[in-house]
Formats: sequence, structure tokens, C-alpha cells
Amino acid sequence: MATSNSLSGTVQAMAGTIDPDAGISAAGEPITEAEALQRLRQSEDQSQQYYAAWWLGRNRSRHPEALPLLLATLRQRRPRDPGAGVEENAIARNAARALGKLGDGGAIPELLAALDDEDDGLREAAARSLGELQATEAVAVLLRRLASGPAGAGAPRLDSPRLQEPCEAMLEALGAIGIAEPGVITLIEPFTAHDRPLIRSAACRALLQLSGEARWAEPLMQLLDHPQLQVRRAALMDLGAVGWRPALEPICHTLAENSLKLIALRGLVEQGAHHDATIQAGAVLSAMDSLL
Amino acid sequence: MRSVEIDPIGERIEAVRQAASAQTLLAATAVLATSDHGNGVNNEAIACLVEVLGFNNPGAAVAAVDGLIALGPEAVEPILESLDPRNYGARAWAVRALAGIGDVRGLDLLEEALASDIGPSVRRAAARGLGQLRLAGLPREQRHPIAARCLEALLAGCGDGEWVVRYAVVVGLEALAPELQPEQPGAPPRGLAQLRSALERLSTDPAEDASVVNLRAALALQRLAPLSAAEGAHG
Repeated sequence: MATSNSLSGTVQAMAGTIDPDAGISAAGEPITEAEALQRLRQSEDQSQQYYAAWWLGRNRSRHPEALPLLLATLRQRRPRDPGAGVEENAIARNAARALGKLGDGGAIPELLAALDDEDDGLREAAARSLGELQATEAVAVLLRRLASGPAGAGAPRLDSPRLQEPCEAMLEALGAIGIAEPGVITLIEPFTAHDRPLIRSAACRALLQLSGEARWAEPLMQLLDHPQLQVRRAALMDLGAVGWRPALEPICHTLAENSLKLIALRGLVEQGAHHDATIQAGAVLSAMDSLL
Repeated sequence: MRSVEIDPIGERIEAVRQAASAQTLLAATAVLATSDHGNGVNNEAIACLVEVLGFNNPGAAVAAVDGLIALGPEAVEPILESLDPRNYGARAWAVRALAGIGDVRGLDLLEEALASDIGPSVRRAAARGLGQLRLAGLPREQRHPIAARCLEALLAGCGDGEWVVRYAVVVGLEALAPELQPEQPGAPPRGLAQLRSALERLSTDPAEDASVVNLRAALALQRLAPLSAAEGAHG
């Protein structure tokens, strides 16, 4: 059934992988890789395509057909027409997300093109995936889109709570790609003073990844005390992504779900050796044990 | 003036029952959960904390779980009796509480949760719980079959799709290992070798996408080395 209801049910089911305790609907039942590929190939039932695109990314499919099918799904997108209830773009966004998880550089040219799409949700998904693929080719486009700074790219839109550009995803992508040139650093720095704490967090994360300078970790650790849970969660994920081991204690003490603290601490173990050897992996592991 | 006898626990229970907002419920639950019960445990306090597990208030539920864990074995029956298959949230919190208490009466629920609960954080708690059941007070002949069931459940959990559950399985296996040592030299093996090879697989599995799981399994093996050596020496 390709009704919008079944699609929203699918969206909820997949959100369950982000929220560890969310429920799961019938659409979230386990399927095989062959079935996922088959669901992506057909185009009558869009909720099936939507789920299949997510599934292939989630399971980091290595099937030779996964990349071409996801690229075809990405091309299915249409010019933005929010009133028409068109779901192709939602599926294209899911395909863009999945392409980042396959780890195949063959997706880079089309993801780069999607960075200039008029759908900012697609630009967001493409930016995240290019970051995951550490696509150095994307740096120039990301810099161009963010060049107008917090007052331009970072200004709120009039028609939605979103910003002109998906700044959070784009800043995080710059950090993940890892080109620490002065031009990149200079462009990111003003975003550390953005009005929105989530943007500040993303900018500090990127600068900390690129420079390794402790001064960018301080604001992130302060955000662990922010009154909004959503902000504390973002700071947890950002410190985890960098692997900033001096944040071990603040992470353990922030008011947030253990599930998210565990993800952040996993980052401290896996990414942390780059930054600071004074806190050993063993100390992080024992903190993790006590959060289970 | 005669002082009026007050019952602090009773008042605290009342505060939880009367709480009108999520914030006051959390605060009242935290106070009740950390109360000193003096002589004997207050069954009404247990019943009240168990009730909070079903209120769909995560902050209060966390506090109630901590309180129930502190109350220990006395809380087990009330928790088991309260299980409602229609209230998934309450059930998930009950698994966490039972995992923390470590009473063998929770074994069925922990096995079931690790094998089939849809929430990774519930499976994670169940895996940890299966490694830390308190078996020391049980008659000898009961201890080994229970430990064997825990081992079986944890071995199956090694294949869980979520890294954090596999991580908890490793921690559970490490904690369970001392229960699986042969009773005396020459006694039949009790699964320690199986446990070790599961940890070895997890410590080196190239398909493991979370290297923290590899690392934790290697640490567990290192800590268990003395146990295993003893087993080897005695055949």
C-alpha cells in the first residue's frame, strides 16, 4: 500500500534505530538483501522503496547492484513541490543517506550534484554522506554554500524553522572530510558564535576534528550542561565523533540517556587515540561497563 | 503538645501518587527511591515504585529502577506480578530492574528479553543481567544449570545486530566466567572453553564494525586468563 500512512509508519519504524526504545511497525520486519534490492527496483510502492533504500544503507550492503539502484533512486527526485505530496524526494533523500554508508566512492559525483539541489533536505543528506565518504572533492562546494556565513547561509528561513543552508550537516561534513586548510578553518570559525546551540556545536566539532585544539572542546563540554536535552544530546554525539577523551567525566555526568552516552564513549575509545593519550581506553571501557 | 506520629515513607508514597506534572513525579519518585526503609521493607513503597515503571515518564522510571534495585530481592515478586504484555515501556523498565537486582527468579524474563526484545537498550540490560545473577546463596545442584542457561543465552546474543548489545554480551560473559569453572580438578567441563572461544571470536571478528567490541572482548580474555589457565592445568 503506497499510502502516505504506510510511509509515515515506515519512517517511524526507521526512527526506531535512532531512538533505541522506539517501537517498530510491520514495515520494520526483517527482510533479506535480495528482497531489499527487489523492493528498490520496483516503483509502484514507494514506501517499499523508501524502506529498501534505508535497509541497504543500514546493513552496509556490498551487493554489486546496491550502488546503481540507489543512484537510480537518487535520480528519481523531482523539482520541489511541497503541496503535491510527492514522495520521490523523501526516497531520494534516503538513497543519499544510504550511499554514504556503502563506503563506495562511485557515489561521490552524484552526491556532489545533490549538494546543489534546491531541496535543502537532500542537500543535508548529501552533505552527511559526503562527510562519511571523506570526499575531499566536496570541500569546495561546501565552502561555496557556506561562504555567506552565519548571517547568510546560517540565517533562518522565512517559511520554516530551518536555516538557509543545512549548516549543521555541512559543517560536520567539513570536519569529517578532514582538510585542515586555513580557508576551511576561517570559514567555520564564525559559526561557533551562531545563535543556535546545535550550529555552535557542529562548528566546534569540526574545528576540534580539524585542529585538535582544546579551545574548541570547551564550548562543547559546556553544552553538556545546556537546559535542553536535544542540545545535550548533540554535544554528546559531537564529542564522541571527535573522540575527545578529556570529556570522559562530563559525558558520564550529563543528563541524558545511557544509550547516547555509550555511543559517545564508543567514539572516545575508537577515535580518541588521535588526541590525548593521558586518558587510556581502559578508563573509557570501565565507564561504559557501568552505563550498561 | 504531643507530637504527631508521622510516617515519612507513607508521605513520600502519597507525594508520588499526587504528583501532577512530569517534573514533580520525577522528584517525588527520586525521594521515595532513595528513602531509608529502616527495619523491614515497605511493600507499599515497592508497589508504588513498580507502578511508576508504567507511567511513561523516563526520568521517573530511571529513579524507580534505581530504587527497586536498592530494595533487592524483596522487589522481585512485585515486579514479576506487575508485568503487562500490553505495556511495552513498563516491561522494558522491569527488565532493567531485574537485571540490576540479579535474582534468579528474573532469569526467564532476562532470557526472553535478550533473545527477542525490540529495544537495544533492553537487550543490553538483559545481557548485563545474565552475567551477574547472584548464584552464591543457591544450593550447588541448582547453580550450574542456571549458569548454563545464562551462558547459552549470552552465546546466542553474540550475534545480535546492535554493537551495544554485543558489547554488553561481552561484559556479561566476563562476569559469568567464574561460575563456569570446573568444581575440582578432573571434573567435567562446564562451558568455560565455550565462553572463551566466543570471546576470542568477538575479539578478532573482522566483520565487527565496532572495534570497541573487539577491544572489550580482548580485555575480558586478558582478565580471564588466570581462570582459563587453571582449567587447562587440571585438564
